[in-house]
Amino acid sequence: MSIKNLSRRRFLKNTAVVGGGLVVGFSLFGLSEKPFPIVTEPDGFVPNAFLQFTADNRIIFYCPRDEMGQGVMTGLATLIGEELDVSPHSMEIVHSEVHSDYANPALGFQVTGGSTSINAHYLPLRQVGADTRALILRAAASDLGTDISDLETQDGQVLYQGETYPYGLFVATARTLDPVSDAPLRSVNNFRYIGKQTYRTDALAKVTGQADYGLDAQVDGMQYAVLVRSPVFGAKLLSFESADTLKKPGVTSVVAISNGVAIVADSYWHARNASASLSVEWEETPEQALSSEQIRTQMMAALESEDETTAVNEGDISLGIADARAQIEGSYWTPYLAHAPMEPMNALVRLGQNDAEIWLGIQSAQAAQNLVSRVSGIPTENIVVHNLFLGGGFGRRGVGTHVVEATEIAMAVGTPIKLMWSREDDIQNGFYRPASAARVRTAVDGNGRVTAWDIKRAGGDITPGTVKNLVHSLFPIAPDWLANGVSGTVGFLFNNLSPDGSSVEGLHENYSFTNVRVKNTSVDHGVPLTFWRSVGHSNNAFVTESAMDELAVAADLDPVDLRLKNTLDNPRLNNVIRIAGERMREMQLPEGHHLGFASHGSFQTDVAQVAQVSVEASKIRVHKVLCVVDCGLAVNPDIVRTQMEGGIIFGLTAALYGEITLDAGRVKQSNFHDYPMLRVNETPEIEVIIVDSKTEPTGVGEPSVPPIAPAVANAVFRATGQRLRDLPFRLPV
Amino acid sequence: MIEFSLNGESVRTDVDPNTPLLWVVRDVFGLTGSKFGCGAGLCGACTMHVDDTAQRTCILPLSAVAGKRITTIEGLGDLDNLHPLQQAWIDHSVPQCGYCQSGQLMSAAALLDQNPNPTLTQIDQAMSGNICRCGTYPRIKRAILAAALAYDATAKEGAQV
Repeated sequence: MSIKNLSRRRFLKNTAVVGGGLVVGFSLFGLSEKPFPIVTEPDGFVPNAFLQFTADNRIIFYCPRDEMGQGVMTGLATLIGEELDVSPHSMEIVHSEVHSDYANPALGFQVTGGSTSINAHYLPLRQVGADTRALILRAAASDLGTDISDLETQDGQVLYQGETYPYGLFVATARTLDPVSDAPLRSVNNFRYIGKQTYRTDALAKVTGQADYGLDAQVDGMQYAVLVRSPVFGAKLLSFESADTLKKPGVTSVVAISNGVAIVADSYWHARNASASLSVEWEETPEQALSSEQIRTQMMAALESEDETTAVNEGDISLGIADARAQIEGSYWTPYLAHAPMEPMNALVRLGQNDAEIWLGIQSAQAAQNLVSRVSGIPTENIVVHNLFLGGGFGRRGVGTHVVEATEIAMAVGTPIKLMWSREDDIQNGFYRPASAARVRTAVDGNGRVTAWDIKRAGGDITPGTVKNLVHSLFPIAPDWLANGVSGTVGFLFNNLSPDGSSVEGLHENYSFTNVRVKNTSVDHGVPLTFWRSVGHSNNAFVTESAMDELAVAADLDPVDLRLKNTLDNPRLNNVIRIAGERMREMQLPEGHHLGFASHGSFQTDVAQVAQVSVEASKIRVHKVLCVVDCGLAVNPDIVRTQMEGGIIFGLTAALYGEITLDAGRVKQSNFHDYPMLRVNETPEIEVIIVDSKTEPTGVGEPSVPPIAPAVANAVFRATGQRLRDLPFRLPV
Repeated sequence: MIEFSLNGESVRTDVDPNTPLLWVVRDVFGLTGSKFGCGAGLCGACTMHVDDTAQRTCILPLSAVAGKRITTIEGLGDLDNLHPLQQAWIDHSVPQCGYCQSGQLMSAAALLDQNPNPTLTQIDQAMSGNICRCGTYPRIKRAILAAALAYDATAKEGAQV
């Protein structure tokens, strides 16, 4: 037997198999105390945490943000490459290991999320590139016996008197020179790589099966584990009977850990099959009586609760309503959602005496390192995180439960453990987008100015649970009582002083209304919650943009015009509304097709969308979507387009299908047959218009998600006269 | 002991014949390009060719492929000799997270093998078993149409020779 072995290492982790000696480079910023977690190749040169020049003239970029599909490797390589004068396609790009220099400048620790990456690194990474290029030019001038002003660069080469010299020739001298700082940056008008059309740097690996994900990691002596978790959130393990399970093929042990009972076997298949034979008793908790109907009833009732906090309260709502030409009032509902990334959670952990390695794909390698340390007691500096490609993130891979689980199992069993979640585990034991209810009362005057905007929102809050996880993820030695205490304090604040920003974001900020009130009542049902692509905006844009449409209809105003008149203080959003509105007026529609409009700014980016929809036999069909986006300078315009397309499809799945429901405290859905995803045959034609801009780039991973559900709902109203105030959309048959 | 052909090489294994082909190919033969997404034949991430037909291998027992020809993404093309679909996937920036793309490509390749000039409707039909959570569907359609043109051109060149 022989299997052709393609040179898979070439693409990915060529140098990141650290393990052994860490080599000290110096920091351009002079801030870092720890050595860079980079293996310096023989005669390699590591001028800073982000780059290595090798003796054979390769240039390696250590990408500090995590590639989960959003194109961040290509984007950040473009930023550093612009100033270094190296094409992103001429670099080898790997995920960085964990180091303070890799902290997300926008968030203060090493994490990828919030559509921050391109904006937060736009200047810092370019500065690193510019300073490194300046250093190499100084070395080249010295080696070539000339003046820097005689030298030029082009894609990793120094040009001098008609000859080209690869950067690598000069690193021996460069390492002897003092580092450069504050080298001038290129003018936006002279960019060579930023803003240009180019393919993704990770495309080749991903179309040849060579890209490695957590699922693909292997290490000698590893065993596979699956974990049986409580079907009711938070219920503790009372007892289990493993005699039958231990007799199943391939099973080597059954061990209890903090979060359930692990079945360890020689393959995932054996472990998974054996798990069905395990008999487990869980404690009884109040949550086991929970149903979705009850949750909805309680959240709807909480809309009337005066036990509430205030996000904004300006002017006088009753005065605004008194002056109105028309007013509307309505209640909306958005359900829990799972992220369902295509790659279910997994992690491979190898524990040594006082060192450890973990292979996985995660939105925070720093959290992974700290969580392994917290569980095992091994100091963080001895823990290597191999962050591989992420098979989808969407917020789900910002939570490190699987890291804790895999480490606990590896400790209990004594061999390396690859923990794999099934799809059922993913849907039923995950973390969810909060469900929420909202009531809107709003009015508009004869000039199309909104004179009252009164919103009450009720639902779960993301931040208390996130803070608890964050304490553990950032401070591995923090005890449970501290994490619980901080989380409890945050929860107390949200219940008494001011709403969780994640819960109320997007409910009013895009508009300049007079007389505005936004209030919140937190309702906690014990369902684990976390960030889900576009976070609170995903719930709240559905509320605001549906209400704007209802108001326009009630006042007999053009819905685009209504938005234009109420975004005069928000010129960038106003502009995308205007462009999309003009295109909307020109659209030729086939018989039975109708248009809906929505706009929303989130993550500093403004988006307007037009959905072309038909309804036949109560079935909603979305034929076309126009998406106009202003995200500042588009560093890679095609990746911006793909993110708009992907976000629209992600949002359409939620609008048409997405719903996690509970019965007897258990998630009813389990796999793609009952938690369906939009498929290719249901996907609309999508046209993306990127507003030409040279201002600093803003987020693109999330902002196209929020407007699509209301755009479709507003089109369905025009098609049927039915106002859809619940997600997902269901029309009476 | 079960024998089959894997990307043109004859292979044999004595693992449990009930084991789904996906795990045999990944864990026994070390070809990890094919992915696990649902374990129930619902998402297509595990798609391989079994005697030229696209099949969901997370629910296909090893015993069912005895004596058959299995092709995985690793056998579709390689770095120096990409399949026209792989090239089109790069040109049209199809992959985002990339996790489902091996399965998408294998379904698309089976389609073009049977129908070198598919219509958009035929593409929809052939590809609707493959889920992409990143939403790369519009690019997948475009890339398949582009690869079909390349197929067509290659075929015409062949005919002239």
